[in-house]
Amino acid sequence: MFSTSDTIVAIATAPGRGGIGVVRLSGPASRDIASAILRREEPLVPRMATFGRVVDLDADRQRAIDEVVVTFFPAPHSYTTEDVVEIAGHGSPVLLERMVQLAIARGARLANPGEFTFRAYVNGRIDLVQAEAVADLVDAVTPLQARAAMDQLEGTLTTALTAIDAALFDLAARLEASLDFPDEGFHFVTREDVRADIDQQRQALVRLRQDGRAGRLLREGSLVVISGRPNAGKSSLFNALAGASRAIVTDIPGTTRDVLTERVDLLGIPITLVDTAGLRDATDAIEAEGVARARQAQEIAALTLVVIDQSEPFAGALDLDGPVVVVLSKSDLPCAIPLEVIAAWPARPMAVSTKTGDGLRALRDQIVATLGARDDWRDVPAISNVRHLAQIDQALEAFDRIDAAIQSGASEELVLAEMVEAREALEAITGHKTPDDVLRHIFERFCIGK
Amino acid sequence: MNDFDVIVIGAGHAGCEAAWAAARMGCRVGICTISMDTVALMPCNPAVGGTAKGHLVREIDALGGLMGRAIDATGIQFKMLNRSRGPAVWSPRAQADKRRYGAWVRDALTACPNVTWLINRAGRIAQHDGRLTGLVFEDGSAVSCRALVVTTGTFLNGLVHIGDEQSPSGRAGEPPTQALAESLRALGLEMGRLKTGTPPRLDRRSIDFTRFPEERGDDPIVPFSFLSSRIEREQICCHLIHTTAELHDLVRSNIGRSPLYNGQIAGIGPRYCPSLEDKVMRFPDKDRHQIFLEPEGLDVDEIYVNGLSMSLPRDVQDTIVRALPGLEHARVLRHAYAVEYDFVQPTELTRALEVKALPGLFLAGQINGTSGYEEAAAQGLVAGINAAQRVKGRAPIVIGRDEAYVGILVDDLVTRGCLEPYRMFTSRAEHRLRLRIDNADVRMTPIGRDIGLVDDEHWRVFEARRARLDRNLAAAWTTKVTVQNEGTTAAQALSRPSVTLEELRAQGFELDVDEARADVDEATVTAEFKYRGYLKRHDAQVARARADEGRAIPGDFSYRAIPGLSREIVERLTQIRPGTIGQAARVPGVTPAAVAIVAARVSRHVPGV
Repeated sequence: MFSTSDTIVAIATAPGRGGIGVVRLSGPASRDIASAILRREEPLVPRMATFGRVVDLDADRQRAIDEVVVTFFPAPHSYTTEDVVEIAGHGSPVLLERMVQLAIARGARLANPGEFTFRAYVNGRIDLVQAEAVADLVDAVTPLQARAAMDQLEGTLTTALTAIDAALFDLAARLEASLDFPDEGFHFVTREDVRADIDQQRQALVRLRQDGRAGRLLREGSLVVISGRPNAGKSSLFNALAGASRAIVTDIPGTTRDVLTERVDLLGIPITLVDTAGLRDATDAIEAEGVARARQAQEIAALTLVVIDQSEPFAGALDLDGPVVVVLSKSDLPCAIPLEVIAAWPARPMAVSTKTGDGLRALRDQIVATLGARDDWRDVPAISNVRHLAQIDQALEAFDRIDAAIQSGASEELVLAEMVEAREALEAITGHKTPDDVLRHIFERFCIGK
Repeated sequence: MNDFDVIVIGAGHAGCEAAWAAARMGCRVGICTISMDTVALMPCNPAVGGTAKGHLVREIDALGGLMGRAIDATGIQFKMLNRSRGPAVWSPRAQADKRRYGAWVRDALTACPNVTWLINRAGRIAQHDGRLTGLVFEDGSAVSCRALVVTTGTFLNGLVHIGDEQSPSGRAGEPPTQALAESLRALGLEMGRLKTGTPPRLDRRSIDFTRFPEERGDDPIVPFSFLSSRIEREQICCHLIHTTAELHDLVRSNIGRSPLYNGQIAGIGPRYCPSLEDKVMRFPDKDRHQIFLEPEGLDVDEIYVNGLSMSLPRDVQDTIVRALPGLEHARVLRHAYAVEYDFVQPTELTRALEVKALPGLFLAGQINGTSGYEEAAAQGLVAGINAAQRVKGRAPIVIGRDEAYVGILVDDLVTRGCLEPYRMFTSRAEHRLRLRIDNADVRMTPIGRDIGLVDDEHWRVFEARRARLDRNLAAAWTTKVTVQNEGTTAAQALSRPSVTLEELRAQGFELDVDEARADVDEATVTAEFKYRGYLKRHDAQVARARADEGRAIPGDFSYRAIPGLSREIVERLTQIRPGTIGQAARVPGVTPAAVAIVAARVSRHVPGV
């Protein structure tokens, strides 16, 4: 059930560095939760903006992580008509995220995309015309559909979670079959199968949780992919942005054979920078694999930096797909591309020299600005990795109990009962499945009945 | 004055329970059937119970229904399924002496002073100004009543298929009813077409049983009914055989003559009861399938061939049967057939199984898209109870999903509708660990007592049993035992999966049991502690679900007036008219956000506006 009675939290302002960022809480416990994460002398006074410090209680020493201005809007005179607390901090996305996590740790729930607006609508504060964004949310039968409808760009954990959910679903179906069809003359699943399957999916979840990524490429934070022809200067740019010499830089085309990734904090925004093998017809197997991975990386990238060596002639048209920043590299060398060719490109390129450092600062700003147009973590229809991680945590807690049940030798019906919560946590992302879905799965896999 | 308070059309498992319930609740009941010889007939498998179905039977029994006592009185092989698993999924199943079963139920109804048999063919539902008034028979005569329960099974436009032979029949050799189907259609009810089937019957004398492994039942027997004590009756054994590759080839080479595969049958059959054709064609990798040979009674010659339902022509059936090792000389007494029939989409009904478009009219059994005697009986009981409630001017009885499989059955039907014949499974129960056969009486008997269905003798048995249960639960907390060199209470010891009641008895944990029926007392104590950790944690979840079930949606609530709901959702909710917020959330296609909007609107709703 889509509860409208608990307390929700999310970042309420547009992304990007600079200015201020606001974390908004709405619901009956807003004031208590805000008070718990703030160090303040005075209690919150309705509609008075007052100074405070947000304290990271989970840190080794309880340190203040930001100085903030806090405003409490008691019900019904607030955006949602519920008790609302707004905490205005200094805008660093990292700090704002931390505040949201602290609020969640104190009992708030991460708001669903558009949920503040949704509550305002449900509580009669605004009409639907004002809440245009809510309509899609109301119609989406599964969260996965909501995802697809609202957010196609983001590289998230959805794919990995869908695989784990499918395995868990299949296991549940086989366990159900063994209970509902006991005299079919064969075993749908053995105790060892259950133990092995649960173990495997649990490990998969733990891995996801640990590095917050799916597979090799999907990491938490926006994926920024550097692509271009061989020897266009991609690895140099990677190193310049990453601030370390990780990629091997040579003059021989095809040196970078694999995909290199680096977690980079770019002006306060976490990104994962990806250096790809040069996109050309690979001559050996290892390189071919690298090229394949590069293409894969581009498909899920939040932003692609297309690197073009301006010291070399460039005649072909520039085909750009998705969010792209074009980088003219080696700007310290003479330009070999005619101006009218560049003028015909669909995007204005940015000249950069990694040798002199010219243009790097402007490029960083441009990357942040382009990524800033994206909407994760906000009260807008988008779902971020943070939600996935929260669901994984919930699922892992449930897995502890599944494990305990299996270890103690509990029979199938009890193991299944303990599996419900884990499945619910994953189905919050992959979509709810009914008992009919389970039965359909059983009948497709097994010839059952007389 | 009306001729009857309640008229029931059909005397199958649904009709008999409906008539019984309404009569026991004080209504004057007329039960209409074509023949007294087919009362409570088992036209397919001569068995009652099975996984989840056994749960339904226990609940029917605990409410005061007939089925549990009928099978205990006439069962010829009893088996508790899933014994190796936990008590929540134990399910009783029994072979019935088919003839004696029907006779037992017929006699029970006949002995009921409020019941009158109407041997006639039902024709048309009579109504006046949108009010149900009675029933008109095919011969034109009429009877008046205040509530009508229709339980026509496969008889609505029934069409039997054996190869290319097609005959309009409800069951092979019995004429169907077209008039009643017309009458229901005229009410504007959404109807569909389903298919089911039954295997051949063989002559016992033509089979050499010494060649097959025997399948025996339990000894001692665990009865279905809470009112039964020890069952000591001659028991039969069944025999297990398997299909062969040669037989599969026969099916494949004749598949073009199967109405199921040549387009002759349009109705949708149950996936959990695949025909032989489906088994062979859909699972070509499986080299053999189980077949059980089951006697239909102690002193009849018909052997039911469980697992061999098909619709192939008679000559092919003969060949197939004789291709089975050991059945080379078998004589087919009755051929397998498929039957197509009309059903009413159960989303046309309220949770009292009453037709929304015509109050006073109730439907139960296969007419609602279900399959199975137990599913039919459970619905018959619900319909009969609510027909009586209507006659008495009392509120309908709605049993919750967290209370009984009966509640799940009704809720699934009226909320989700049917795309194929609906069968109960334990996987449909979200509160499976609570809904057990051992505590069906604790869950249901007080309800049955409240509405006047449970008589004094039944209630006395129940009260004694509940007192024993209370004493046993209390004793478990005070009895000290030692398990794995650790001192603890019997209660805590029992909550470990590996510890059995037997072990603790040896250490002085004395259970107070009814010597004639120790199984129920023991099972409840075991289950309550085995599942205790889980049940305690899920109390909150159950409470939340109950809160949603407790939030009623007014009958006159208009979804069209709510901005923000898509047209599909508005139409779906308008059609189903869920009674509660909880039920609204289960309507297919209704999103959680939509439910939140509806809930918010309902709380501001002013009736009649």
